[in-house]
Amino acid sequence: MTLRIVFCGVGALGSGAVVLCRSLGVELRLVDLDRVESKNLAAQAFVKLSLGKNKAEAMKLQLANFWGVKAEALGVRVGAENVAAVCAGAGLIVDAFDNRASREVLSAHARATGTPLVHAAMAGDGRFGLVRWDERFTADAEDHAGQATCEGGEHLPFIGLLAAALARAVQDFVTDGTRRDALVSRSGMSTLA
Amino acid sequence: MATLNITWNGISADTDVNVEYGVSDRDLKRIAVELVRSGGVAGLHIKDLQGEAFANYVVDRFDTPAGGQRLFLRPKVPFGARR
Repeated sequence: MTLRIVFCGVGALGSGAVVLCRSLGVELRLVDLDRVESKNLAAQAFVKLSLGKNKAEAMKLQLANFWGVKAEALGVRVGAENVAAVCAGAGLIVDAFDNRASREVLSAHARATGTPLVHAAMAGDGRFGLVRWDERFTADAEDHAGQATCEGGEHLPFIGLLAAALARAVQDFVTDGTRRDALVSRSGMSTLA
Repeated sequence: MATLNITWNGISADTDVNVEYGVSDRDLKRIAVELVRSGGVAGLHIKDLQGEAFANYVVDRFDTPAGGQRLFLRPKVPFGARR
């Protein structure tokens, strides 16, 4: 039976990680409520033709058109009322959301159902990020309302590195069930057992 | 003995520290400031680091299989959490 991976959030980190996970031989389910805006082209794996489309649907189309990879898309907001349906059948949940409330919904679901969950999160200044499995993860709140979201293209190389670290964590899990954390900074990437 | 990882200005480095198991976040942040100022963290020597440099940081604590502690002093990672 093919492993189903549910990517929750296909923005900066999630879109990059999905692209890198396209050849793992798994079922991909993509979840995101937002639409692709012009500003997203600077730091996310979307192309100009995807402007205006739902991000999950846009990534599904890009995977099919560029690489012939099938995926399922859900253009919904994830909350306590629908998380079980969104994550139904998941062998792995990937959290690349950009807000604490949604992360906590995923954690609660994963802990209640025993579903593996890996989180990726980034500092507001685009210089530090974490990949951490749920058993060791606590979601951080923002420092202040309206904190910068790393949307600008100046952070793209670092975002790419963190997305790759997330994809590597997914790959290791798919390969042999290993759950490794990673810490990414300007110093490089440290993989932690 | 614990291994403390400190991230400052995007640079991360490890150092060994001799702290009690339940050392408070506040004390750990003070210790970290002194370590960084004094050059006690290889690759992360900032003589004029402000005393409150880590005030808004998060401390992560994990037990290691060998019975030690792994501590992380790091910036928050909300990635632009929504209001």
